[in-house]
Amino acid sequence: MKLYCLSGHPTLPCNVLKFKSTTIMLDCGLDTTSVLNFLPLPLVHSPRLSKLPGWISKDGTVNLEKELKECAGRVFVDSQPEFCLPERELLDLSTIDVILISNYHCMMALPYITEHTGFTGTVYATEPTLQIGRLLMEELVNFMERVPKAQSATCWKNKEIQRMLPGPLKDAVDVWTWKRCYSMQEVNSALSKVQLVGYSQKVELFGAVQVSPLSSGYSLGSSNWIIQSHHEKVSYVSGSSLLTTHPQPMDQSSLKNSDVLILTGLTQMPTANPDGMLGEFCSNLAMTIRAGGNVLVPCYSSGVIYDLLECLYQFIDNANLGTTPFYFISPVANSSLEFSQIFAEWLCHNKQTKVYLPEPPFPHAELIQTNKLKHYPSIHGDFSSEFRQPCVVFTGHPSLRFGDVVHFMELWGKSGLNTVIFTEPDFSYLDALAPYQPLAMKCVYCPIDTRLNFHQVSKFLKEVQPLHVVCPEQYTQPPLTQSHRSDLMLELQPPPMPYRRCAVLNLPFRRCYERVYILPELANSLVPSEVKPGITVATVSAVLHSKDNKHTLQSVPKPPPAAPSKKRKRVIEEPPATLAPKPLLSGAVPLEAFLATLQKHGITEVKVEETGEGHILHLQAEDTLIQLEEDGTHIVCDNNEPLRTTLRDLVLRFLQKL
Amino acid sequence: MDSECVSILPRVCEVLAASGSSLPDDTSLEKLLDWLTTITQTGVSLLEACPCLLDFLSNVALNAAPGPGILSFTLKLAGLIGGSEDGFKALEECSVLELVFAPHHWQESGLWEDPSLRIGWIQGLKAILQHSKALGFFVQADLLEPLLQLQTDSSLFVASAANQTLAHVLLLCQSLSSVGRDGTNKRDVEHNGVGVETNQNCSGVVSKVSEYLNESLVPRETSRLPHSQQILKLLSQLLVQVRPPLRETLLRAVLDSLEELATKSCSQLTLPLVDVLLAANSSLGDTDRIPKQRIGKLLSLVLDTKKPTDVVQAAAALMRSRQTDPDHSAHAARVLLLPLDIVTGVSLVDKDSTDEELRILMTEQLQSKTCVSMICMCLTNMPQITVMAPDRLPCPQSLVVRAVLSLLRLCRGDCSSSSAGCVGVFRYVTGSSKVQKCAMEALSALSKSPEVKIGLAEVFKLLTEYLNCPLSEPSVLQKSYKVLINWIDVCTDLSCISDQLREDLTQAVRKRACDTRWEARDSTVEFLGHLAEVRSCRTSGGEEREPSNALLGGRAFAVPLLKEALQDPESYVRASSIAALAQTLTPSWQQGAPVTQEQVEIVTRLQEILSQDSEGFARRAVVKYFIAWFSSCSSPTSCPLLVQHVPAVLSQGAADLDWEVKLHTLELAELLLDRAFPDPAPPHPYAVTPEGLIHGEDEESALLGSLNGVVDRGVVSALFCGLVDCDRPVALKACQLLLRLRAAVCPPTASAADTGVSCKLPGRSWAQEIRKIQGTNTDSEGGSAVGSEARGEAVEESSVGVREALRSLDLDEKLSILTQSSDHVYNSPLSLLQDILTASTAHSHPTSEPGQEVIVDCY
Repeated sequence: MKLYCLSGHPTLPCNVLKFKSTTIMLDCGLDTTSVLNFLPLPLVHSPRLSKLPGWISKDGTVNLEKELKECAGRVFVDSQPEFCLPERELLDLSTIDVILISNYHCMMALPYITEHTGFTGTVYATEPTLQIGRLLMEELVNFMERVPKAQSATCWKNKEIQRMLPGPLKDAVDVWTWKRCYSMQEVNSALSKVQLVGYSQKVELFGAVQVSPLSSGYSLGSSNWIIQSHHEKVSYVSGSSLLTTHPQPMDQSSLKNSDVLILTGLTQMPTANPDGMLGEFCSNLAMTIRAGGNVLVPCYSSGVIYDLLECLYQFIDNANLGTTPFYFISPVANSSLEFSQIFAEWLCHNKQTKVYLPEPPFPHAELIQTNKLKHYPSIHGDFSSEFRQPCVVFTGHPSLRFGDVVHFMELWGKSGLNTVIFTEPDFSYLDALAPYQPLAMKCVYCPIDTRLNFHQVSKFLKEVQPLHVVCPEQYTQPPLTQSHRSDLMLELQPPPMPYRRCAVLNLPFRRCYERVYILPELANSLVPSEVKPGITVATVSAVLHSKDNKHTLQSVPKPPPAAPSKKRKRVIEEPPATLAPKPLLSGAVPLEAFLATLQKHGITEVKVEETGEGHILHLQAEDTLIQLEEDGTHIVCDNNEPLRTTLRDLVLRFLQKL
Repeated sequence: MDSECVSILPRVCEVLAASGSSLPDDTSLEKLLDWLTTITQTGVSLLEACPCLLDFLSNVALNAAPGPGILSFTLKLAGLIGGSEDGFKALEECSVLELVFAPHHWQESGLWEDPSLRIGWIQGLKAILQHSKALGFFVQADLLEPLLQLQTDSSLFVASAANQTLAHVLLLCQSLSSVGRDGTNKRDVEHNGVGVETNQNCSGVVSKVSEYLNESLVPRETSRLPHSQQILKLLSQLLVQVRPPLRETLLRAVLDSLEELATKSCSQLTLPLVDVLLAANSSLGDTDRIPKQRIGKLLSLVLDTKKPTDVVQAAAALMRSRQTDPDHSAHAARVLLLPLDIVTGVSLVDKDSTDEELRILMTEQLQSKTCVSMICMCLTNMPQITVMAPDRLPCPQSLVVRAVLSLLRLCRGDCSSSSAGCVGVFRYVTGSSKVQKCAMEALSALSKSPEVKIGLAEVFKLLTEYLNCPLSEPSVLQKSYKVLINWIDVCTDLSCISDQLREDLTQAVRKRACDTRWEARDSTVEFLGHLAEVRSCRTSGGEEREPSNALLGGRAFAVPLLKEALQDPESYVRASSIAALAQTLTPSWQQGAPVTQEQVEIVTRLQEILSQDSEGFARRAVVKYFIAWFSSCSSPTSCPLLVQHVPAVLSQGAADLDWEVKLHTLELAELLLDRAFPDPAPPHPYAVTPEGLIHGEDEESALLGSLNGVVDRGVVSALFCGLVDCDRPVALKACQLLLRLRAAVCPPTASAADTGVSCKLPGRSWAQEIRKIQGTNTDSEGGSAVGSEARGEAVEESSVGVREALRSLDLDEKLSILTQSSDHVYNSPLSLLQDILTASTAHSHPTSEPGQEVIVDCY
C-alpha cells in the first residue's frame, strides 16, 4: 500500500492512495496562498495601484518594470493571479480511478486534475459539497474574469531572475507550475464527473474495496472517508470538527479500529479558540460601529459566514446595532444564503428540528426579511443606490487580491475609524494587507477555525485507536514560532508517519488475508478433522479462480489438470506440500510424557536443556540430540538408523494425523 | 417561663413517654431541647420549674418502649438536668442516672446499634460533665472506656461527637484540678473531703486518655489512617485549649509518636500533623519544661519532607498560621517559592540554600497534571509572603513580582522569558484560568508590598495584554481589572506609563465594553467606577492628576461608555453602570460644578429606568445614585436638577414592587430629613437654655418651613406609604423615620389643635390604609374622622395635617409590632408544645378524620 503526497499544504491536501489494485485520490485542494505575491485586481480603476513604481534591481541589471511593482517595500507581480497546483508529475493522473472529496474547500483544484489529463474516473462527494463547491468555483472564476488582465507576467519566473528578486518572491517554489484560474466551462466539465453519495452509503470500487463517507462536523456535507476491504480498513480524516456549529456532528465511532488513519486538516490556529474569536469579532465590530466607522469582513461566501451571521443575529440587539446595515456582496451571495437553508438533512439536530416547525434553520433568513442583512452580486448596480454608512460588509476574497473586497479596502483604508476584521484562517493577514500599506484603517485578526485542535485530536485518536497514523510533517513538531509548545503537536505511540509534498510513503501495513469463496460441491467433499477443540482442518485440492478481485475455489476438473494451483492459502495451516496422500501431522510433543516414554524404551540418560523456542534433549548414552521446537522436531542421530526410526515413531505417537 | 407552657408540659411529657412516633416533625424534639436549654441558661432550675421532667426521665428509662429518637432526647435531657449539681443529686436519688448512662443497659436491649441513641448518650454525657460529682460518677461507672471506643465509631457524626466530648472531659479535669490547687478554694475542698478524690479521678482520666492518644496516633495499618487523622485533629484542638500542667502531660505522652509520624511522612497525615505541631508550638512558652526546640525540630523535619506535594501543603499550613518563628516561616517561604522558581526560571530561591533533591523531585512533579494545584497553592500564600520581613525572604519581592508576571505570560502561551528546565508544565499552565486567577490575586497582594513599585510599567503592560486577549475568561478579566486598580492605587507616579500603553489600555477597555459576555461588560463598567474613586497621583509633569484622567482620559472617556451601558440588555450591567456613573460624577458634585447637558440626559434616562425597568437591580441602583448625589452635594438645594428630580424618585421608589428599592427610597428620605431637621448639638450639661428660645416664634416658623419643605419634596408621603407596606423591613424603617419626624415637629407640650402643614394623600390604596388607621384612632378618641372614606365620599385626593397625623397614628405600638420577627408566633415554645399535643391526638384517633393529614405549614 502506497501513499503519494501531491500537496504539502496540511489543510488543502491532495494525496493518492494505492490500495488493492485501486488508485484513489483523497481530496484535491488548491493552494491559493500564491496569489499573495500578486497585485490586487481593482474593480474600479485605482490611481494608487496604477501609480506604483516598477521594480528594477539595485544594480540596474534587471529591469522588470512592467511585471513587478513595488509597494511599501515589497514587490508584487502585476499580472492575473496564479495558483499553486497539486504536484502533477509524481504519478500519471490518468490512472486515478476515483477521487474522494471531503469538503468544498478541498476540491478547488478539481478542474486541473480532471481536465486535460486523461482522467476517466469518478469523483465522489456529498450534495452540499458539490453545490457549495460549485458556488465557490463560480465565484472564483467570476472574480478573475470580471477584471481581465491582458498581460501575463512570465519573465520573473526565470530561475536566474527569480534568484535576484527580493522578499518572498525569491523563495516561492515551483513558480513555473503556477497556473491561472480555470474557466467556467472547465468547472462544469469537472463537476459533471461528480457522483453524489450520502453519509454511510457504501460504494464498491471494482469489488476490491468499499468506500463510505462519514459526517465530519466541519461544514455542510463535509465528510471523512473509510476505505475498507474484508480484512483492512483505512480511514481518511480531513477537516473535522467537534464544536457545535451548524453541520451534523462528527461520526467518530465508525472510524474505530483502522489499520491506517490518514489525518489532515487540523485547525490552522491551534492557539485561537473559535468561541473567543467570535466574541472578539463581535466586540470589535460593535466598537467600530459605535465610533461611527465601517467594518469590512473579508470572507468566503460559504462556511463560517453562516455562523458569523447567526452570532450577529443575537448580538445586534444586545449591542444596540439594530439600525446598522449589514451587506453581503458576492456573485453567489444569494445562492449561498439560500442553499444553506435547503440542506436540512446535513445540518445539526437543532437546526433539523426547526425545519419541521417549519422555520428556516438559519436565522439569517430573518435578518434578510427585516432588511438588516442585504445581499448583492457585486458593488455595481443596486448596491450603490442602497449603500449607507456606517455599515458592515461581508465580501470576498479573503486574500484581498481580487473580488469586491479590493474596492472596499481602497475606499475605507485611509480612515482610522474603519476596521477590517479577518476571520478566515487561510491567509496571513499581514501578507494580505501588504499591497495596501500604508493603511490607516484598524486591522483585527480573529481567525475562526473550527477544525480539530491538538488536544481534541489526541483525545479522538485515543478513542478510535488506529494502528498507524499518517499526517503532514507540520503536525509532528511544534510550530516554528512556538517551539516550546510541545502541546501543539501530535505525540503518539507509535509515532505518526509524516509526509511532505512529493513524498511517496510505503504504508507500514502488510496485507495478510484475503477472502476466498469455496463452491458448495467442493465444500461437500471436504473431510474435516478436529486438531484442537474448536479448530478443524481439512485438506483441499481445488482450482483458484480470481475475477474482479473475487477469489473462488472450484473443484478440480475431471480430466487430470495440467498443474495444480500453486497459490498457498494461509487459512489452512499445514499447506499440502505434495499431492501424495501422505498424512499431515499436527500437535505438540509433551515433554514429561515423552521422557517417560523414552525411559520405557530404555533410554534413561536424558539431559534436558531449555532453549528460547523449546527444548533440546541430549541422549547421552546414544550421543543423540532431539530438538523439540514449536514449529519443528529434529532428531540428530549419526549412523544409527534403528534408533532414529524408534525415536521417530515415539515422536509420532504424540502427534495427530490427518 | 411562660405559665401556660408549664401547665401544658406535663401532658407533653406523657405523650412523649407514651409514644414518640406521632411527632409533628422530626425537629420538634430538637426545638424542645433548645427551649429547655435556654431556660437553664437563664439560671432557672429546670426541675423546680417543671418537676414533671423527672417523672418523664424515670418513666422512659425504666420502660425503653419509645423509639430511639425519644430515648436520645431523654439522654440529652438527663444531661441537661444533671449539668447542675442539684439536678444531678435529684437524678442520683431516683437512680435514673446509673440506668440512663450505662451503655450495657442499651446494649442489652439492642438499642445501642442505633447511632441516634449513641449520639444522645455522648451529648448527654458531655452536658452532665460540668462538676466534680459528675466526674466522680463518670469514673465510678467506668464510662471512659465506652467513650474511647466510640472515638472510632463507624458513624462519622458519632465519632466526631465522641471526639469533642473527650476534649471536654479533659478540659473539665483541668478546671477541676486547678480549683483544687487554688488557694482560696482549698479550705472548702478539704472540708468537703472531695478534693483528694477529685484529683485522683482527674489524674486517672488524664493518664488513661494520654495513653490512648499515644497508642492510636501512629497508624499500624492503612485502614487506621482516618482514625489517626481524627486523633490528630482532636489533639490540635486540645492543645489550643489546655493550660500548662495538662498541656505538658499531654505533649509528653504523644511527643514520641509525633516524632515517629514526622519521620514517616505519610501524605494523608501531613496537614493534621502540622496543625498539631503548630498548636503545640504556639501554646508552649519558652519556660515550659518541654522545650520548644523539640517541637521546632519536628516542624523542620516536616518541612524537609521529600514529597513535593506534602511539603508544599505543610509550608502553606505553616504560612497560614502566621505564628511561627522567623526561621520556620523563612523555610516555608523557600518551599513555596520553589515551584515558581522552577516554572518561571526566575531565580527566587538560592540554589545552594535548597535541597537539590527536593528541586529535582519538584521539577518532576511539576511535569504532571498536579502542577496546577501546586502552583495555585503557592500563589494563594503570596499575601503572607508579602508581609514577611525582607531579610527573611530568600529574594527581593521585586523578583517575586517578576516571577508572577512571567507565570502570567506563560499562561498566555508566551514563554520568551522562562527557563527551558520545565517544558512539561507549559501544557497544563497555558490557558489555565485557575492559575491565571490565582496569579492575579497574588499580583494584587504584591502591590501592597513597599518595594515593588519599580515594576509598574511591566505590570501595566501585562494587564493590558490580558484585557486585550480574546481568550481571557470573564473571571480573569475581572481579576485583571482589580489588580490594575490596586496597582494604580499604590502608584504615586504614572509617568512611566507610555502613550502607547495608555492607548492600548483605552482600546482594550473600549472593546470590553462591547464584549459579548455580560460578565466582561459588567467588570469593565465597574472598573470605570472604581478608577474614578482612586485617589490622585502625580504625573510626569509633577502635577497632581486623577489616575482616571491620566490613564483613560477621565470623564470624557468614561461617561459616554457608561451612558451606552445604561441601555445594556443585562440588568446587572445596567445597575453597575448606574453605580459607576455615580462614582464618576461624585467629584464634580462635591465641587459643586455646574450641571452639564450630559448630566441632564443621564438623569432623564435614570428616571426612565426607575419607572420602566423590569429588573430590580437597575432600579435599586437608580435610587442609590440619587442617595450618592444627595449626600455628596454640599448644599443640595443649590442644585436645581437634583431638587427637581427628588420628589419623583421618592414617589416612584416608594411605589416600587421591590422591597429593596423601597428601603433605599426611605434611606433617601432619611437624608432629606437629616438636612431638614439636623440633630441639635448635644446640650452642654451646664448650659442654661433660655425658655423662650425653645418654643420661640422664630423657632416655630423655621420648623414649619422645614416641615413644609419636607412635605413638598414628597418625603412625608413616602414615609406614610412605607408605613403601611407589607414588607416588614420597609414598614419598620418608615415607622422609625416617622417617629423621628414626630420628635422633631411635634413637641410634647404643643397643643393638638395646631395645624399648619398638611400633606396630600393621593387616591391610592396606601393612603386609604393610612386614613383607616387614623380614622379608627381618632374615632376611639372621640374626635372627628379625617378619613373621607368613612363618610362614603369619593376616595380621591385629600389632605391631612401632618402633625395631627403623626400624633394620631399609633407609631409606638406599630414599632413594637414591627420589631418582632414575623414568625414569632409560630416559633414560640407554646406553639411547639401545642403542636406536639395536637399531633398526638391526631395520631391516637386516626379514624376520626380519615383522609385528613396534618400538614405542617413550613412558612
